[in-house]
Amino acid sequence: MKQGVLLFAFNNEQIDYLAMAAWSARNIRRHLDLPTCVVTDVADIPVTYQFDQVVTVDLQPTEQTRYFKDYKSVGTWHNKNRSNAYELSPWDHTLVLDVDFVVASDQLKRLFNIDQDFLAHRWAYDIAGHQAFQDNNWFGTYRMPMSWATIMCFRRSKKAELIFNTMQMIRDNWTHYRQLYQVSEHTFRNDYALSIAMNVVDGHTLSTPSIPWQLASVTPETKLTQVDPDTYKIEYESSDSKPKWLLLKQDFHAMGKRALGEIVANPC
Amino acid sequence: MDTNELISHSRARFDHHQAKIVLREKYQAKLTFAYGGGMWRAGPELLTVLTVCPDESAVLLDLYETPVNVDIRELELAAQQRWQEQMNAWLVEHEELHKNR
Repeated sequence: MKQGVLLFAFNNEQIDYLAMAAWSARNIRRHLDLPTCVVTDVADIPVTYQFDQVVTVDLQPTEQTRYFKDYKSVGTWHNKNRSNAYELSPWDHTLVLDVDFVVASDQLKRLFNIDQDFLAHRWAYDIAGHQAFQDNNWFGTYRMPMSWATIMCFRRSKKAELIFNTMQMIRDNWTHYRQLYQVSEHTFRNDYALSIAMNVVDGHTLSTPSIPWQLASVTPETKLTQVDPDTYKIEYESSDSKPKWLLLKQDFHAMGKRALGEIVANPC
Repeated sequence: MDTNELISHSRARFDHHQAKIVLREKYQAKLTFAYGGGMWRAGPELLTVLTVCPDESAVLLDLYETPVNVDIRELELAAQQRWQEQMNAWLVEHEELHKNR
């Protein structure tokens, strides 16, 4: 069964997602020994970017914007292609990764040994330990459990196809689903679409199989720097307002794009 | 030189409490492993169950609550190896924490 990692990279005014994808592809090759495929609208990929496959798609016009806390500004958010991963993936067993997910170990290889058609994270936690982050594990007035679209692992199967088709239906009718689930944010998020889709496909039982560990997250408020190729330093204010730091030698979701962009531009 | 940044840097302390929590999460993830079509987490609970199983094979529930027919001794060996390997790595990282200010 052919396995590989699918990355989506659509640059906006502030962020070079393609450069992040290229950096991530190098980490993926080093730790997971898997081929990468990038889905992008960039026609001329720099020769130094070493993806195994490139799928060029037309950028869907969007008015969708998002406030990027670390940039303190609003930018265009091209996130609507993610639900096309099933059609776009060249592999039988695919790992879809956000380009801001930092691969620093071989942990994700375990996902290919799990006998499930579709897996994503149910729980995420803030590495800096801020309890308020826990609220991100639910959404909407009715506190719908969140399934994080940061990492999705799927096999070619009826179930995975249904989940992605349902995500597309939710994306195309977001106003309706937003009202149904009483989501206050106008912005469409793949996390919401995935959470709703997985629950619909599983017959509204809220018993969807998930990745058997939590998604480690570094928030935009946390300062992130690279110490060596697989060690990162985070600096933050603890809940009692004291400056603290930690070293990370593991995979994590870097939610602050600015800090990650600087690491990608000047890697160790 | 930005004096405020320098002061802030010198006041920053390694977060031992949070580091322990992050390490725990990291190694909980690393303790998972696949065997016989099921997914397992090596640890005292699984090892105890395997130790008290009298037969060569048994049906156990994996992390996804899926019943899996397993060879008890094979799974015990795999769990024991994973447990020791990851606990040793955990200990090494834990001891490194003490070196940080």
